[in-house]
Amino acid sequence: VPTLFDVAATSSGNSKKTRPMKNTKKRMGPFTSFAENPDGVRFETQEAKETIVLFLRQHIVVNVPWVCVSVLMLFVPTFLLPLFLHAVRVSLPIPATYIFVGTLFWYVATFGFILANFLGWFINIYIVTNERIVDIDFYYLLNKDFSQAELNKVQDISFITKGLLSTIFNYGEVVVQTASESPNLEFDKVPNPEKVVETIRSLIEKHKRGRPL
Amino acid sequence: MTEQALPIIAWFGFKILSLIGIAVYVVFAGIIVRQENLMSHVLEEGFEPILRMLTYIHFIAALIVFLLALILL
Repeated sequence: VPTLFDVAATSSGNSKKTRPMKNTKKRMGPFTSFAENPDGVRFETQEAKETIVLFLRQHIVVNVPWVCVSVLMLFVPTFLLPLFLHAVRVSLPIPATYIFVGTLFWYVATFGFILANFLGWFINIYIVTNERIVDIDFYYLLNKDFSQAELNKVQDISFITKGLLSTIFNYGEVVVQTASESPNLEFDKVPNPEKVVETIRSLIEKHKRGRPL
Repeated sequence: MTEQALPIIAWFGFKILSLIGIAVYVVFAGIIVRQENLMSHVLEEGFEPILRMLTYIHFIAALIVFLLALILL
């Protein structure tokens, strides 16, 4: 049976104490994509005795493409657009008010682009509790999908790591197959997929043995 | 229609299109605010107040741009 409670050494004090991970509460940051026993997090249907064991988002590196686009967008009005107009030799008599409002709108739209993309990453979360596995997705800022699977309904769990980036940054897809009619849960591009699988397997084992976590 | 009137009509058409475009964007900004509110019901987390503030700032900024376009263009 894989170990659920890792031994974490604390650096405070002269003597290095060891304590089980169960008691180690981790403070969440805005860019947290992998947290064991996170502190200060609750979700919609969480029951009183239910505790969050794993909190996951997609790996932070998946945000790199839109961050690069955002940086480029910041330079469009001041650098790229004048360069383009100069290159194509277009001299349009654009009124100053249009340039002012256009530039302002461009920066607001860039801010909106960043916000929408960040939200898209931030609000798609995967949670593993001591009772179930939860997948909360928001699609295109309008659709919400709340899927869950009880630990005793999980039949199989596996992970796939493919591609150069996922190998370098250690992220992958975790697939949870359930016995119920509900569709399988897929954790897309989550960090440390092997650790996620290991933790869920361990929880299922403990759940089968009827030991509360 | 005179030759001088044509650019004026063209700019007026462009102004109307710009206003419609910015108005659509204001709606999009409102959807982001709504989405963030929905999310805060689903998940309680420490960063949520800052995110809410950012979505409101974005919505207000979009609204200001719309008003400026209405006045200046």
